[in-house]
Amino acid sequence: MGLLAREIEASGITTSSLALVREVAVEVRAPRMLYLHWPFGHAMGEPERAEQHRAVLRDMFSMARRAPRPGLIVDLPYRWRREQYPPIDDWAADSASFAAGLVAAIEASTSATVPG
Amino acid sequence: MTNPVQRALVGRMGGTGRGRAFGAWLGRKITLPQLRRMSLEHVPWTPFRRSLAEATVALVTTSGIHLAADRPFDLTGDATFRVIPRTAEAGDLTISHLAYDSRDALRDINLVFPLQRLRELEAEGVIGRVAGRHYGFGLCAKGERLIGPGREVARAMKNDGVDLALLVPA
Repeated sequence: MGLLAREIEASGITTSSLALVREVAVEVRAPRMLYLHWPFGHAMGEPERAEQHRAVLRDMFSMARRAPRPGLIVDLPYRWRREQYPPIDDWAADSASFAAGLVAAIEASTSATVPG
Repeated sequence: MTNPVQRALVGRMGGTGRGRAFGAWLGRKITLPQLRRMSLEHVPWTPFRRSLAEATVALVTTSGIHLAADRPFDLTGDATFRVIPRTAEAGDLTISHLAYDSRDALRDINLVFPLQRLRELEAEGVIGRVAGRHYGFGLCAKGERLIGPGREVARAMKNDGVDLALLVPA
């Protein structure tokens, strides 16, 4: 997955990737990665819940637009089967969950690169 | 001696002290930056320059999705991919992958391959265009076998004018 994302990105196409296992998200080093703690086979969520699928897609679009540098992993906080996903009226705006996750990811990567 | 390229270079320089010193110097000056560039630390980067409403979007999924009429994936490991046209409906698609429970995904293929969702977003004007071709991969434990197929997919996407690829796992 990460390798595919890197090859596509290297050819000049922006990529936005999802991972369902945090260790995998870290390992594969995709250019832009969103992590969801959801079961395998359910990257977009639950069956017949279009608003949930759209919420995940919106965050993938946000990641494409907002990630300031390669290799960031944004944790999305959506709980499995215990979230409400209201209809999205402004697709240009980021979800509050994504915005908070991006800030946390940038802080985490900055502190990780400080020597010592 | 901090990295394999340096070690190999020094080895090639042979037994003389001067050769060894030259190899070590070369390792520091030339190969280390190259190694850094080539290593897994390096992640390519293409900023997203289009507006979403003008962008062409394609899907890549590693969940074993393919047209039911197409050749199934080898369930023990397969680095090939299947092209899925933008017009594919849920009834045209199936899953060849044994490493996850695909019952929900077979009920609603959008869970691992949200093509229908993308077509809806295209109709609403949220995204510019759904690409003509999308890509399904199966289970492949050996990542390096995906380099060739990955490049092939990237080339096809370039030909299709894709601006944004969304990668969805199993």
